[in-house]
Amino acid sequence: MAPGTPAGTGDDGPGTGTRAVRVRRTELSGRLGLRARVTLTFAIGAFGLSALMAGITYFTARQTFLNERQSAEQRQAFANAALVQNALRSPVTEVNQLIESVDTLPGSRSVLRTGGQWYATSISVGQSAIPADERALVLSGTPASQLFDLGGSPQLVIGVPLPAVHAAYFEVFSLDELAGTLRALAVALAAAAAVTTIAGAAVGRWAASRALRPLAGLTDAAVAIAGGRLDTRVDAGDDADLEELASAFNQMTANLQDRIEREARFTSDVSHELRSPLTTLTATVSVLESHRDQLAPRARSALDLLDGDLRRFTRMVDDLLEISRFDAGSAELSLDEVDPGELVRRAVAASAPVDAEGVRGAVGFPVEVGPGVDGLRLRVDKRRFERVMANLVENASLYAGGVTRVVVEREPAPTTVPAPATAIRVVVEDHGPGVPTAEREHLFERFYRGGRAGQREAGQGTGLGLSLVAEHVRLHGGRVWSEDAPGGGTRFVVELPLVPSGDDGAEGPLDIGVPA
Amino acid sequence: MSRILIVEDDERIRSSMRLALEEEGYTVDGVGSGEEAVDRFGAEPYELVLIDLMLPGMDGFEACRALRRHSTVPVIMVTARSDTHDVVAGLEAGADDYVTKPFVAKELAARIRALLRRSRHDDGGTDVLSFGDVEIEPEAGVVRRAGEEVHCTRTEFRLLCELANHPGKVLSREQLLERVWGYDYFGDGRLVDVHVRRLRTKVEPDPASPRFILTVRGMGYKLAV
Repeated sequence: MAPGTPAGTGDDGPGTGTRAVRVRRTELSGRLGLRARVTLTFAIGAFGLSALMAGITYFTARQTFLNERQSAEQRQAFANAALVQNALRSPVTEVNQLIESVDTLPGSRSVLRTGGQWYATSISVGQSAIPADERALVLSGTPASQLFDLGGSPQLVIGVPLPAVHAAYFEVFSLDELAGTLRALAVALAAAAAVTTIAGAAVGRWAASRALRPLAGLTDAAVAIAGGRLDTRVDAGDDADLEELASAFNQMTANLQDRIEREARFTSDVSHELRSPLTTLTATVSVLESHRDQLAPRARSALDLLDGDLRRFTRMVDDLLEISRFDAGSAELSLDEVDPGELVRRAVAASAPVDAEGVRGAVGFPVEVGPGVDGLRLRVDKRRFERVMANLVENASLYAGGVTRVVVEREPAPTTVPAPATAIRVVVEDHGPGVPTAEREHLFERFYRGGRAGQREAGQGTGLGLSLVAEHVRLHGGRVWSEDAPGGGTRFVVELPLVPSGDDGAEGPLDIGVPA
Repeated sequence: MSRILIVEDDERIRSSMRLALEEEGYTVDGVGSGEEAVDRFGAEPYELVLIDLMLPGMDGFEACRALRRHSTVPVIMVTARSDTHDVVAGLEAGADDYVTKPFVAKELAARIRALLRRSRHDDGGTDVLSFGDVEIEPEAGVVRRAGEEVHCTRTEFRLLCELANHPGKVLSREQLLERVWGYDYFGDGRLVDVHVRRLRTKVEPDPASPRFILTVRGMGYKLAV
């Protein structure tokens, strides 16, 4: 059973203005929320900054390491070259032995050209491994050093021309170790940058939450105000930035409250003032009624009209006063704990019309109490519930040919798996023409008559009945809606929670907890 | 023929009420202020008083309290609204019942009849009832506490008899409303609550923590045995 339109949930009226504002806000803020955007900004900032720092660190370190290494190796190479030159001066020197005997650092290899021949300490690193331009430069008599790549591993070559002995000495140093160190440094820096980015994001999120915390308070306040608690105010604490917003918000709420209260007071005062003449009218009409027999037929008809509309007028004043209380937020529940079945039977019985003698008639429809309802206790304001039933019964008799039956149900319905009852549903069915779906949501609006405006009986209601039904039910924390009845016609469903959220009434057995 | 005093400052309402109540067979006098009401009540006997709450000068509450100092006459408050604390305050001031403007004359007449019937305490039984140091003589309409007579209004008296007649039994607000005031299921439970409170100040040693007239949460009231 899909509930139709629960009355009084949200207020999405034809407010095109609201919609336009919403659209624009969407465009401005994009898809991300403020919190996400702040978090993202912090994360990007932290990433950029840490990446920059890491980059600078890396390249500085690299340059320093390289320079150190280069100068160390240069010293080594020149020392070795001097050694070789001295050795070559001696004509008995065996070049192969000489080159093997050169004292080199681990990972460095020597290449020597002398007498038009190349000699090398390593098979893999011969003259061909040395870049051609380096070779040419050194052989032409200029000392040179160069970084180059050999089979994927970085190398540094230092060439020293030895013109005195018509030779050239090269030393090739492997920079693998340095490359390893730099790689480890790079990894460490990248990790640090990542951690900084995450920390930045976390700080951003925290900062955003912290900045938005007063906004959460504001949201709560707005929700409370929307819920009718107009005396809600926000507290800016000692935050100077928020104070302006808070005081503007509070000012707005105060103005709103003032305005609503003024309107409600006006309605209340009007209905109140109307009561004095109505009292006089009611009393005098009752005197005329008791002399009805002495009146001419025409006067009698006039009296009936007067009496009928006087009752209606009185009802309208009562209803307006009731509505003004809801509008002012001053409506209070006076709760009693009752048996739901008995409550509905009594309320239905009380809705029967009274004849001229003041005797209440019987109602022409059954009240059915569904399974699982007996034994449940409902906390309800009996007077308000009585008005709810009276208005629903009256509504049905004015517009739908009368009520066909009233059902009291447990919610959820008792099944084989016992679930605790959470609410009581009172269903009022009629066999009228039904209400078009489009009109249903307007049924609970004040003075709404919709498609029934032309009906003869439409003049008899106050136009406030169903809106008061919705207000009474909402005050109980319940809801009411209309839907199609299974056999044609309409059914109004009033759902009252078994534990109402409203306040207790004043005093009485429900509130004074004296142990029995 | 019962005599009724109407205290109402609006002359038109006073006149129309008098007309309507005379139609119901009562003898009706009307005054326009609380001060006049107290004077008039001291000079002539009335069986019931209708007091409007909003009066110039001495207001309805004050007038009711003034009457209560010397009399247990049934008092019906006339209020313009039923939801405010006026009702409770009016009952606290000693009223037996209230009606809301605009009232239907027949309904007011019914309330008056119920109160007048009660004021003759015709169905209180004859046996002396007692609990604690409290003794009730239903026929004489007398309540004594530790031998001293306690002044109860007639409604308080009826309520006390109702509770004392069913010691140990929980009486719901609806039952008490029906038996003491003649109201149906939808009567105003505040009538019972305020009268119980008033009664406690008269018969309980410590009204704040009652020992005899107990509240049974969610159910009603009972007299402890």
